[in-house]
Amino acid sequence: MRARVMILALGFVIVAVVIQTTVFAPGRLQPLGAPPNLVLLTVLAVDRYLEAEAALLVAFTAGLLVDLLGGSPLGLWAISLTAAAYVAVKIRDRIEDNLLLTAISVFALTLLGQVLFVAVGTLFGLSTITDPHLVRKLLLPAVYNVILAAPVYWLTSLAMKPLQRTWAP
Amino acid sequence: MLSSGRRFDRATALFLSLIAVAFIVATFDVRSDGDGAGTVMREGAQTLFTPLQKGVDFVAAPFIGFVDGVANIAGLRDDNERLRERLVELEEQLRETTALERQVAELEAINGLEPPEQLASVTARIYSAGASAFDQIRYIDKGIADGIVVGQAVIDERGLVGRIDQVTNSTARVRLITDPLVSVGVRVQESNETGVVTGQGTGMLRLEMFEATEPVVAGNTVITDGSRFPPGIAVGTVTKTADAQVTFALRTDASPAVELSKLDYVKVIVGWSPLDAVSDETDTTVEIPIELPEGSGL
Repeated sequence: MRARVMILALGFVIVAVVIQTTVFAPGRLQPLGAPPNLVLLTVLAVDRYLEAEAALLVAFTAGLLVDLLGGSPLGLWAISLTAAAYVAVKIRDRIEDNLLLTAISVFALTLLGQVLFVAVGTLFGLSTITDPHLVRKLLLPAVYNVILAAPVYWLTSLAMKPLQRTWAP
Repeated sequence: MLSSGRRFDRATALFLSLIAVAFIVATFDVRSDGDGAGTVMREGAQTLFTPLQKGVDFVAAPFIGFVDGVANIAGLRDDNERLRERLVELEEQLRETTALERQVAELEAINGLEPPEQLASVTARIYSAGASAFDQIRYIDKGIADGIVVGQAVIDERGLVGRIDQVTNSTARVRLITDPLVSVGVRVQESNETGVVTGQGTGMLRLEMFEATEPVVAGNTVITDGSRFPPGIAVGTVTKTADAQVTFALRTDASPAVELSKLDYVKVIVGWSPLDAVSDETDTTVEIPIELPEGSGL
């Protein structure tokens, strides 16, 4: 059953990566010049139904996928998403089903993941930190993720909650 | 309580291990400079995801077009007015160009030069991009089977878009000129002096000239010099006036000629290699802008 939950989580991540690289690609849907970070949001959503270790592995895999299909050095998004997932795992018991706290955590963790990417990317020679639109590219995805959190959390809950109940303590 | 503590300890240990692994992978990937296992994995991922991405792109395109249209409806009237004015300007330029073409043909006849052949190109559609707002890459739906190889120039009707940096049988990855890994040998059209344009990872380009004797002025046009890409392709426009320093080095910014955030179709120039530039230099001292083939609205 745990394997099924993991596979389902990875399925959600793959769908998110495909939508992120097509629907939310530059020249498509990027309101105000920045897309939501759907992959990060999906990782946060599915991680609620996974054990801590599985949640980290899913986040790491999602990050590697983003790196493989992107132009940045392999591993940078893996670091960012794994770190965001780790914090999410640490605080999820305190958030429970509180809507306001969930919204705040989505905003903060999206921001954290993106800031980490920029910071670690600078160590590896990326110059994203000098982007004149950096603040917009960091803040807007966080805002969009809060808006998209409702449908994404609902979908993941619909698919994963029934499976989780059968094995969770 | 104890088991909960142990579980979190295991999670922290796993977290630190994964971060360490990611750092090692990133270091190897950067050091390999595009020749390591990372490239093989990227090509594999690209091959696996391409059918999914093309499918979603096909299904979502009408919806995206509708949303885009609704979002931009207020600006359409202004755009229409602006385009009408632009059309009048272009008609005037066309008349001037026709006259210039006649002069060039006469000069070619006098100097015994062969007119430049049209460069073979492949029209491709962008179906995907990198997964984050910071990526400076695009994926196109043409690959090795269409004659595309790594290093070829990618253009649209306004100028240089980037270069091919990864290719599979049916797809290719374009690294945009705004990527810091892309450098382009250029010539300032107004002064004819050469330099190098490098991406900044943002919307702007950095123009560096190491033997500048004249200042560059905001509004000057920067075109390819023919060292790596075909000569005469518009690269960008200088945005800040700058003068040469004591060492004749000059640095300033330029904006790309192409609106990179709104790309849909592009052309890959498959009929030119840097070796052509070498043979051209031995044949003639006259540089003639390339003529881009027509087709697919470009």
